[in-house]
Parts: sequence; C-alpha cells; structure tokens
Amino acid sequence: GSMDNRGGVKPSGELIAYKSVNDLPPPRDLMIQVDQKREAILLPIYGSMVPFHVAMIKSVSSQQDTNRSCYIRIIFNVPGTAFNPHDTNSLKFQGSIYVKEVSFRSKDPRHISEVVQLIKTLRRQVTSRESEKAERAT
Amino acid sequence: MSDGHLFNSISLGGRGGTNPGQLRVHSGGIVWKKQGGGKAVEVDNSDVVALTWMKVPRTNQLGVKIKDGLYYKFTGFRDQDVASLTSFFQSTFGITPEEKQLSVSGKNWGEVDLNGNMLTFLVGSKQAFEVSLADVAQTQMQGKNDVILEFHVDDTTGANEKDSLMEISFHIPNSNTQFVGDENRP
Repeated sequence: GSMDNRGGVKPSGELIAYKSVNDLPPPRDLMIQVDQKREAILLPIYGSMVPFHVAMIKSVSSQQDTNRSCYIRIIFNVPGTAFNPHDTNSLKFQGSIYVKEVSFRSKDPRHISEVVQLIKTLRRQVTSRESEKAERAT
Repeated sequence: MSDGHLFNSISLGGRGGTNPGQLRVHSGGIVWKKQGGGKAVEVDNSDVVALTWMKVPRTNQLGVKIKDGLYYKFTGFRDQDVASLTSFFQSTFGITPEEKQLSVSGKNWGEVDLNGNMLTFLVGSKQAFEVSLADVAQTQMQGKNDVILEFHVDDTTGANEKDSLMEISFHIPNSNTQFVGDENRP
C-alpha cells in the first residue's frame, strides 16, 4: 500500500462539491468515481453515489490481498489532528460529527489504483491552490 | 387487484447496491418484484408507518418505512409520478409522504440521526447518506472519540456494486453532546 500523508488542506467551509442534486454526474455503475471538474469523489453507499469534496480528504491508500481483492481506504480531515491544528471548522461547527474514514473492497485493482492516483493528483492541485489563496489573503 | 399504479423500472436500493425491478402501488399496499424473478418485497398498507420522497440525481426516490423498522428505498420515479403517487398515498393509505432533501455539498461534517435500524448522516439538515445498522457486523470504539462500523461481508446476496463499503468511522469531538455516555452507538 501507499500513503499520501501530505496533509495541510484545511477543510474550508466554502469549498463545496455540488450546488444542486442535478449537478451530479449521471449515475453509472456503483463504483467509486472521481469528478475532476468538481474536485469531488463519489462513493457508492447503499445504492447511492455520495459526494465528498477532495479538500475534505487527508489521505488515501490502497492494498491488495492474496484473494485478488483490493481495498481502498480514504481518511478525511477531522479537527484535532496533527495536520490541522488551527482548524477553523472545529470552532465554526462545534457539535458536529465527522466522517473520519471509509474503506471499500473492490474486485478491480486497476480501477482502484487509478482512483488513488486521481485523488492524490486532485488533492495536490486543490492544496496548492488553497494555500496560495490563503497566502494572498494575509 | 387492478387498481393502482404500475412502474416498470424501479430499483430497490440497499447494501450491495441496487436491483432493477417492477413496482406496483395499489390500495392494499406496495409490491416490488426483481427483474427476472427472485427477490420480491410486499408491504401491506397497514404496515406502512411513513413515506418519504427525495430528489436524487436524475430521478426521485420513495422511502417506505414499515412497522418492524425496515426501510425500503425505491428509485426511478419521474416528477409526475411523485405528484400522482402522493395523492394516491394520501387518499388510499391516509399517509402524506414527507419530503427529504439530499445533501450534495461534499462535506464530511454534520449530524448523525439514529432512527430504528437506520443511521443517517445529515449535512445542514439534509441527508448525505444512510446505512442500516442491521448490516453492521461489529462496532468498535477507537480512543475516546471515534466509532468504527464494520459491515458484514456478504457475497451471496447478488451484490451488483463494483466497490463495496466495508467500514466507516465517525469522529465525535468532545464538543459534541449528542451521544455522550453511550459507547455502543455513535
């Protein structure tokens, strides 16, 4: 497995994936999708595609077992972790519960490694853009 | 019974994905049959405790909650179906479907609502996703603030999704007061 522990993206209250239900890509197969334009990942949960903005993601990794099964683990930013000590959300959204981690099993290792790469690239782009924005603002 | 409404491409959602089928709503209840036979769902109208409508991408979803806590979700209704079925439910079941909204903002923080077997994650009081606690094989606390739900691995129920949810964990900061003192549930 590989880990991307770059960290540094503060979950921003302003970054949202979709404004309305019909902005979501047409439902395809129930598999993890990456929407590069909207900087979102879509996860199949109970027959629905559930979006998460890539800025919410802290790290993504994959693993393959001997049974030709493949696993992907996505860890989200939560307040109080080492990477976002000054997280404004924990103040802004006090009392919230966070989705911290999800893991999926897949029958298609090629698809999973593609997803991991896409998420990492997208995450890097968003991280550098947002930190530039933050620098300009100071 | 020949009364009621018939819909030819309605899928039933759940753990494992969705299954296409045919749904009939009649004065006695709701019947869904999987395409090509096999699984069927029959709900007597006297067992229905609540109905919900939710707009999902490109279509509408009907939620049917029944007495024993089960909650069926049928997807594939056009906007005009929603209107006609709503009046049918009101007049024959005596139930007015509630409207739910789907959150698509992509945020990972919100609220958790436990209702019967269903755990709903809400963002800004809109539903982001739902999972059934009946499918949870094991619940674990990690540290003081994290709850992990591990799902049953079931390869026999005709799962048609390519990627299957195995585990989800929730982080409950100390500032949250909703679930204090209950270590068995998030």
